[in-house]
Formats: sequence, C-alpha cells, structure tokens
Amino acid sequence: MDFESYDVLVVGGGLAGIRAAIAVVEANPRLKIGMVSKVYPMRSHTVSAEGGAAAVLRPEDSYETHAFDTIKGSDYLADQDVVEAFVREAPIELIQMEHWGCPWSRDPDGKISARPFGGMTTWRTCFAADKTGFHMLHTVFQTSLKYPQIHRHDEAFVTKLLVENGRCEGVVAVDMRSGRFEAITAKSVILATGGLGRVYAFTTNGNICTGDGMALAYRAGVGLKDMEMVQFHPTGLPFTGILITEAVRGEGGYLTNKDGERFLKRYVPNKMELGPRDIISRAMVTEFEEGRGFEGPHGKFMHLDVRHLGEAVIDRKLPFMRELGREFVGIDIVKDPIPVRPVQHYMMGGVDADISGVTPVPGLYAAGECANVGLNGGNRLGSNSLSECLVFGAAAGRAAAEYASSAKPVGSNPVEAMLKDETARIEAGYLDKKGGEERIGTIREDMQRDMDAGAGVFRTRESLEKLTKQLGALRERFTNIKIEDSSRTFNTELTAALELDFMLEVADTITYSALAREESRGAHARRDFPERDDAKFLKHTIAFRTEEIAPRLEYRDVRITNFKPQARSY
Amino acid sequence: MSVEAESTAPVATRVYKPAMATGWWTHKRHYFWYMVREFTALPMAAWLLWFLIEIQRSGSVKTFRPGTSTAFVIFSFICLLFALYHSVTFLGLAGVIIHIKALDRPVPPRAIVVTMFGLWLVASIVIGAVLIGFGR
Amino acid sequence: MTDKRITIRAARFDPEKDKVPHMQSYDIPFSDESMVVLDALNYIKAHVDGSLSYRWSCRMGICGSCGMMVNGTPKLTCAAFLRDYWPRPVTVAPLTNFPVVRDLVVDMEDFMHKLKSVKPWIIRKQEMPLGAGEHRQTMDEIDDFRQFSQCINCMLCYAACPVYGLDNEFLGPAAIALARRYNLDSRDQGTKIRLPVLAQSDGVWECSFVGECSVVCPKGVDPAKAIQQTKLDTTLRFVLPYGNRE
Repeated sequence: MDFESYDVLVVGGGLAGIRAAIAVVEANPRLKIGMVSKVYPMRSHTVSAEGGAAAVLRPEDSYETHAFDTIKGSDYLADQDVVEAFVREAPIELIQMEHWGCPWSRDPDGKISARPFGGMTTWRTCFAADKTGFHMLHTVFQTSLKYPQIHRHDEAFVTKLLVENGRCEGVVAVDMRSGRFEAITAKSVILATGGLGRVYAFTTNGNICTGDGMALAYRAGVGLKDMEMVQFHPTGLPFTGILITEAVRGEGGYLTNKDGERFLKRYVPNKMELGPRDIISRAMVTEFEEGRGFEGPHGKFMHLDVRHLGEAVIDRKLPFMRELGREFVGIDIVKDPIPVRPVQHYMMGGVDADISGVTPVPGLYAAGECANVGLNGGNRLGSNSLSECLVFGAAAGRAAAEYASSAKPVGSNPVEAMLKDETARIEAGYLDKKGGEERIGTIREDMQRDMDAGAGVFRTRESLEKLTKQLGALRERFTNIKIEDSSRTFNTELTAALELDFMLEVADTITYSALAREESRGAHARRDFPERDDAKFLKHTIAFRTEEIAPRLEYRDVRITNFKPQARSY
Repeated sequence: MSVEAESTAPVATRVYKPAMATGWWTHKRHYFWYMVREFTALPMAAWLLWFLIEIQRSGSVKTFRPGTSTAFVIFSFICLLFALYHSVTFLGLAGVIIHIKALDRPVPPRAIVVTMFGLWLVASIVIGAVLIGFGR
Repeated sequence: MTDKRITIRAARFDPEKDKVPHMQSYDIPFSDESMVVLDALNYIKAHVDGSLSYRWSCRMGICGSCGMMVNGTPKLTCAAFLRDYWPRPVTVAPLTNFPVVRDLVVDMEDFMHKLKSVKPWIIRKQEMPLGAGEHRQTMDEIDDFRQFSQCINCMLCYAACPVYGLDNEFLGPAAIALARRYNLDSRDQGTKIRLPVLAQSDGVWECSFVGECSVVCPKGVDPAKAIQQTKLDTTLRFVLPYGNRE
C-alpha cells in the first residue's frame, strides 16, 4: 500500500511544538511537516502563562549570571552545558518573537523591557503585560499560518507512537471529529505535549495537561528523567488553582501571613518574595502547619498584597491579574489583598532528551515541558520555561529536520499491522467495552487527591509508599471502567479514559522516583531526608517502563562545567 | 500523509446546521432596537417621496406651502423623530469609528463626538437659513 | 449546610443516532457559590453522564475553548457563575450560527479558514536581520492595537452576529479585529496586502453594525469598533489620492 509520509511530525501545538515546526521550515523549506494536536493550537496551555520569558538582553546582564542563577535555582541538578547553551540562544529567540509581532512591553526608548523575577539576580524577564504566554502562543501560531509546508491535524488524539526496529516512525491517532483511527507516519517525530498537572487535584494546569507525550515515550521505551521534580508555584487562587503570576511579586508584591508578617524574611531574607518557587512554597506550607495561615472554606492561604503599588502600575503591568481577581474571587487587587496558596504548576521531569531534543529512540525528539533536557534540574526559575520552549523547540526542529533529510522512508506494511493492533486495543478496551462499574471521573478524582497528599510539597517514605499502593489500586479499578459514550463522533469520554490511563502511568514514575531519591533537592522535599546529598544523588533519576507497575530506575551523573555545587541559600 | 484503519467506525461527517429563526430579532433587546434603527430608513424614504410629490403638487417654488393635510404634518413629525434617533446614534458612534491622531496623541473620542454634533448643528442652521431665505 | 441543587438542561446531539438535537435535564448539587457552568458540566460528565461532550481547557477565560450558549447568550462557561442563574434552570447549548458536530461541540473550520485569510502575521517589505535587534516600538504605539490583540478566538462574537447567521460567508468580527490588530501594529507594512480580503463584499461591508459582537466579547476587544474603523480606513484609501500607501 502506497502512502505519503511527513518528514517531521510534531505532536502538540503549543509554544515548543509550533516553534519546532517553524524551525524545520527554516532549516529546510522542502520538508513536509505535520502537526497533530488534541486541541486547536490556540487552546494549548502555553496560553495561560503570564509572567514573562527570560533572556540576557541588557548590557549590564551576562550569560554567566543567567546560567548561574538557573543552575543554583535548579539546586545543582541542571546539566550545566545545556544551561550555558540555553542562555546564549534565549535572547535570539526573544528577538525573533519580536520580529514575528509579539507585543513585548517596552522601555521609554522603545527597546524590550524587563522585570525582576524569582531567583534572577538581575532584571531579565521580558514580558507582554501579564499575558506573555497568550501573546507568544498567538504570535507563533499566527506566524505558522504563513508556511504551506506545515499541515495541521487539529483535534486528533495520539494514542501510541509507532516504533519499528527501534526507530520511531509516526503515531496512531484518533480523529476526534470522525472517530477514525489513523496512522500518521513520519521520518521523525517531535513530542511537544506539555506538562502533567492534572495528575494533581490542585493545579494551575488546564484540562489538557495529562502527560500524554511522557506516557507515549515511556511506553516506547524512552526513560522519564527526574520525575520526582514537580514544581509547586507559591501563588495560586484557592479553589480554582488559577495562577497568580510571579510577576505580581516581581513588581513589588508582599506575601504576608495571618499576623501581617512578611514571613519570608525568616526563609529567604536576601531575596524575600523573589526567592525561588520551591523554597517559597515550602515556607508557606511550613507557616500553615505552624498555624500562621489564614483559614478559608477552600483551605489555608496567605495574602499577596499589591495595594501599595497603586492603580496606575497595576493597570499597566498587571491588568489580567486585576481581571482574574474581580472575576473569580470578587476582589479588586487595588484595594484588597489576594488570597494565595501553593499549587502544582510545572513539571521539571519529563522525557529523557538531550540538548537537541534527541531521545534514545532514533527519530524521536522531545521539547518543551514534556521533555527534560537538563535545563531546570530540581527547580525551574520563573520565566525560564517560555524561553525554554523556544530554544529547545527550535533545537529539536533543526535536529529533526537534519535527521529527516537523510532518513529512509517509512515502510507501509509494518505500519498497517501496528495500526490494526492499536485500533483493536482501543476498541476492545474502551469503545466496545461492555459492563464495568467504575466511573472515570471518580478514579481520576481519587488519583488527584492521593497525589496531592502523597507527593505534594513535602513527601515522606510513608506518604510515598502509601501512594504506590493507592495508585496500584486505582490501576486495578481502571480495568473495570464504564464507558457510557458509545458514539464515535467527538467521544470525549474515550479521550478522558485514555488520558487517565496516561496519567496513572506517569503518576507511578513520579512516586517511585520520589521514593528512591532519599534527599531533599529543589522541589523534591523529603521530611525524612531534609538535607541535600550530593555524594549519593548529584544524579538524574531515569525511570524505565517494566512489565510490573514499578519502573526500573537508573541514575546518570549531572554534567558539571563551570559551577561547582554549593549550599543553596538566598 | 495518513493511513486510515479498516475499523468498524462509521464515518460520521454529518453535522446539524439549524436555519436561523425568522424571529431572531425578537430574542434580544439589542437586536430589536437594531431592527428599529434599520427600519427607520423605510419611513424616511417614504417621507422623501411624499415631500417631492407635495412640491410638485404645489406648483412653483415661490408659492410653495407645506401640504395642508394634517396627515402629512403628523407623518413628518414621526419621521423627524426617526431621523433624530438615527442621527444621534450615528454621530454618537463617530468617536468610536474615527481613529485619528493629532501631534502623535490619539484625539479623545469625546472631542470627536462633540465636533460631529457641532458640525451637525452648524449644517442644520445653514441649511435652515438657506431654505427659509428661499422661502421668502 | 443546605443541600442546594440546580437543574442544567444541556443540548444533546449524536449524529449517529439523532436527526436533530434534543435537550436533556440534569439535577446536580450546587455545592459552592464559586461554581461556574463549566463546573456543572464537569460534574455531570464525571458523576452522572459520561457521554456529554464539550470542549474546555484552561478554566480561566484565556484559552477560548468553552464558549457555549447559556440561557440564549453566548458565554464562556468557565466565567458564567451558577449563582447568577440559580434557582432557575440553566440551559446550555452549542454556539449559534455554527454547525453542530456533537452535543455542545461546534465545527470551527470556517473560522480557522477566515483567520488564515486575513494574513495575521507581520508583513514587511524588507525583513530586519535578527542581529539588528528589536524594532523600536513605544508603549503608545502598542496602545494603538493592544485592545484588538486581546482576542482569544472564542467565537462568541460569531455566535452573536446575526449577519454571520444569515450569511456564513461574512468574514466576521474576530477575523477583522485581528486584521486591524496587524494593520495598526507599527512594525507591520501589510495593510495594502490585507485590503482585498477586508474590502471584498463579504468583508467589512457585510457588517451593518448591529454591535452585539462587542457586547458579548469576554475580553473587551470591541470588534464592532475594529470593523467600522476598517470600513473608514478602506474607504479613505480608495477615495484619497495616494491614500493606498503602505
């Protein structure tokens, strides 16, 4: 059977994915690029990023400082060669965004402005008011429309990577509109599927952040690196988990406890509200546990106060925050403090990829939040992620383009067989399944609640071991799910079930990786091992899928170049 | 590009496209007043035609008098209200539509609207004076 | 704690079984004053009827996925609070003027096509090299187009526009507002190139200024303003000598 094949297929239509696609065109305009996303690209979760994107753009700044800030911020788990390359590429990418029309906020002289941000020693976070992710995503998406080489498959849900003879050759996807199963083949595949926040109950992440790409790669034999490193952002709105950007603190906001005290002076006296996210989140939880948090119907919270900034600054720099406060909490941040509490936000862990997005499976690449290229280590600094998506999206695009330019075409017979198998698996397991007693929503909510309790800001051996058992029980219950939607047309119960399947898988990698890392580093805080242990754990955890539930864990040394690990205090 | 499966999935490309209800403009107040605004064109066109007929009927321009029929007077009054409603909404929106800059700063919409109403007043006075002058 | 409940009536349509959509009622707990219509739909899907299909993602009014008709008005269901409707039932239907694919999901391809047709990217006669750094732009220059850059592509404006309802060929509010966003961007030099799409009969001139698009827009984009401004701009380009410069 003859069919066409893409040279590069991008899975995921967010900032990293679209940037990768454009990079392929730029590298080789003769290549044919496919982009498959389970939502229309402008719905990708990049859109909700608020604060900004960091890069060295000012003369008083230096690559070395940005690199050091990032490496120290990572609690020395970052691969330093990757960081050093990243800080050199980031400024170029932000200028490229500007050329593509991104409405960066400006200084009076017309140059791109920058604001202070957590863990950054100088002002290097460029921003577009407080909707940076929104503007960046719409900029790259709209720019991508001018390239006829990019063919989009919108609302196609990828269920499996096609791997033949150890080489990645494409994906199987369900076209949501028609319910048809399709094999989309390609000489190279770039995973850019974002994070997995929805494994937690309280998260800033949208519904679509279910770790799909991580699970797909995991099932294809790729290791998931540093999965225990889950970032909790200090300032989420109670109940909804909606993100209140770090930029609020960057512009001068204060975090106060029940006693009206700027409590961070006892935790990060030199940086105060601009300390790194992991330390501030732990500080807030500690304050809660010691009784100095406000009590509310949706849990304990602190106050984030910007009243002293004045209406003019707020309307100019934080208008979206004012809108969110009014809309979802019924407050005016000009006059009222904002209730905030730590919330799951970002995944440092992800698909094991190198500086060019190359994974151990030939033809498979990964970029953006779903990948772990070694940039963020144990804790990501705010505003490094948007830059990360651009730098490593472009790098993966270029690497995939080069690979695809010389790779052999994909053989059709094996693909047909794989497609048939995958179709049968999903039809038998989900669409044509009869009976079952468990509701998908209930299993999901139980998983989310268990993850919040067992693998939250603070972990213990007991909480993690209990969690492994809970997740095991949930997997059992998952085999007994009930599918009420028998339609093939836009079946969102099927996608919810497939997403839950992915989430249970990656949740296990988080839990087992966390159990094995018997130290506290970055965002991974063990009450039973409160100190950092460079002798044993200056290494990346890599989780490989096995026949059992527990992954096989391997360790890989962190690459140190110029910055020797030191004690981390702010 | 892509290979399709020989699965049992029916190809469901059928969508449901309802026709727009003929009474759509009764469903919201805003739509209703929009239709009224647009509708004012009809009676005004009718009035113009009637006016032209009146002119023709009364013979020479010098001895013209508005028709003695009260019907015409009442109708004229109603049409005046329609014309005023349409003019006020139209001129009021000029501030929104006209986007100009003077000396690199955008002219505030209020200034534009006030100017528009001012020009309207001046034009009304000038045309009124001319017509009355002709009438004499 | 009182046991408050609320009724949600949701439109259901499965093209494999149904000829036309029908309404289905669900009676659910109204357990928190902060609950929005989207929370109600999620509760139904998770605990009552897993077959209800709808789009959603960010739940904070920025992704534009969750637009639906709530009691006859196009709204983002993540920002429509149940407390504003309770104790009356809430009727949720797919966005008007769009073909219905399934339940509360509409076909968006027409909009995606129109979005692309206005060439929503920076067009320059001569690309500046990256090494030259950024184009200089002031905050005032950004203010010129800022409002029109806030569009989240939620399509509530298309659902509100009776002109689009009567004639699906109309370019529509969001697409025109986006074109205007680029036309007004000081870095862009593509106004003349976008002109044919905007000035065609299905472009700006189809609009008769109903204005409901701007009323329902959740981000304050004011597409009606963008359209009328574009009408004026295209006219002046046609009428004035040397008006059609870049």
